[in-house]
Amino acid sequence: MTAADERELLIEQVVAAWRPENQDGGVRAHPAWHDLDEAGREEAATRAMRARVMEAALDPEGLSTTARLVLAKIRG
Amino acid sequence: MSNLDTHLPNIAAGDPDAFARWVAGAEFRVRASLTSVSGSVDVESVVQETLLRIWQVAPRVEPDGKPNCLLRLAIRIARNLAVSDLRRRRVRPAVVAALEAQPLDDRVEATPPDPMLRTAIAECREKLPGKPASALNARLRGPGTPDKTLAVRLGMKLNTFLQNVTRARKLLAQCLERRGVDLENELA
Repeated sequence: MTAADERELLIEQVVAAWRPENQDGGVRAHPAWHDLDEAGREEAATRAMRARVMEAALDPEGLSTTARLVLAKIRG
Repeated sequence: MSNLDTHLPNIAAGDPDAFARWVAGAEFRVRASLTSVSGSVDVESVVQETLLRIWQVAPRVEPDGKPNCLLRLAIRIARNLAVSDLRRRRVRPAVVAALEAQPLDDRVEATPPDPMLRTAIAECREKLPGKPASALNARLRGPGTPDKTLAVRLGMKLNTFLQNVTRARKLLAQCLERRGVDLENELA
């Protein structure tokens, strides 16, 4: 696997809404985010924005995966 | 301009459905407010933490007479969380100073969903081939589940799962482009 391939896989992981939690329930950065350089992190954020727009457009309530994840936590 | 504060009384009363309607209109504005630090802060985690905190503080929010006070508060909370994170990780002081000096955009506008975009994306999604479609669907259905678990459920290695999600996104983007949909414009 090339360095470019590995970078792509790291970015794709960061684009996901899933994030680990602190012991106090706070939201932590994705582990793969720490392995990206500044440009990779910016690219991941741009792709995540596009992904959330698509997810919200597909959802009957207009909710992205971020929104549904947060609401699931609130609703317990 | 739509005013998302119409949902505030019900959110303050603890109605998660009202909060869902507010989040649907507010998330992208909060996310966009962090663009300038996206190379130094994990935007996704800050957005999620911000939304959780807004839910917690909403019962104590006093409207200031201007529209979208809850959204403006969310942007402020997101910035404070980003600054705290940058300081904790001892990121270059210039990055922190630039974020703090950036004026808060008070002219916030909620983003209503676009039914035309929804149709275009749904039709392009239906055309995705098997494995990329399965991987993307798993992500959409299980946002609270780590990729490793989603991959196991689909009988894929993690890297294969990620490659399939990436491929699905590229195919979707190409399909939308052919239909004249420019996601950059949707974000503007």
